[in-house]
Amino acid sequence: MQRDNLLIFGVIIALAIAVAAPFIASSNPDGLESAFFGIFGAKDIHGSELNEEAAGAAEEQVTEITGNTFSFAAPFPDYSIEGLSKMGEALAVAIGTLLVLAVAFGLGRAFSRTE
Amino acid sequence: MIVVHIPDAFIPLPQAAVYWIIALIFIALALRWARAEMREEKVPLVAVLAAGIFAIQAVNVPIPWGTSGHMMGAALAAVVLGSPFAAVFVLTLVLIVQGVLFGDGGITVMGANIINMGVVGGFVGYYSYQGLNRVFKNPYPSAFVAAWFSLLVAALVCAVEMAIAGTFPLGLGLFSMGLYHAVIGVIEGAITAAALYLIFTARPDLISTSEGVTA
Repeated sequence: MQRDNLLIFGVIIALAIAVAAPFIASSNPDGLESAFFGIFGAKDIHGSELNEEAAGAAEEQVTEITGNTFSFAAPFPDYSIEGLSKMGEALAVAIGTLLVLAVAFGLGRAFSRTE
Repeated sequence: MIVVHIPDAFIPLPQAAVYWIIALIFIALALRWARAEMREEKVPLVAVLAAGIFAIQAVNVPIPWGTSGHMMGAALAAVVLGSPFAAVFVLTLVLIVQGVLFGDGGITVMGANIINMGVVGGFVGYYSYQGLNRVFKNPYPSAFVAAWFSLLVAALVCAVEMAIAGTFPLGLGLFSMGLYHAVIGVIEGAITAAALYLIFTARPDLISTSEGVTA
């Protein structure tokens, strides 16, 4: 029983985090992005002001450096669902969470040790 | 709404291909680990951990310097499931769903993200936990420090990849990635220790797995 409780509790916690995420997450650039903007002059490394125009230019500049122009239209870009705002993001993260749960379970069953 | 892993534009295609090849080798090893070591009854736990890691990665926490950071979860997966390959298994799934469904993290560069978070995060997290736990004799401070360190090393490896790509200069890349992720790592450490406490309290039988005894 305890075994099942932990798993059910885990799924509930994961879904609660997923739904809350869009409302509580910081929209500051993340560590990698912030380092990128700092290095490309769109932001001071220790500062918090982001120059949006310079940030856009930095993104063009880096594509020129690497030559990697690959782009891919994800169905829910940036965890958004077209036509829905924050609730759409909450739904998107919740869908992602359930999908990861299902895929991990399926692949886990397929690849686990059986005696 | 951001999580943000390495986007396609940050790494030239030939290098991205090399990272994919390395990642695929580790994915194959992770699948071999699963076949040999992952008992069927562990599968629900693996799935719940993967789902929880996906959800918690969506929560970007603000840190100083106008920056944010999110949990990685590799150390947690490796410690709870008793193998660094468990982290490769879980993080690869999370990264595929993030990249393919949500455009978070590039497709061509997904190999690099799998190496950084799954392989580096998982191996550094697992082995530093094993080492620290011998010193601290307490899983929670060990997990805190190991998770902090795993995130920092993963970020520094990412900075080296950015330097090879020509995207970041090496010194400044290591400095800024190190600075931000030394702080983000505190969040990683705290959540890892707290999650481990909850899991071990509910399922004391998992403690032996985390100590490297094959379950």
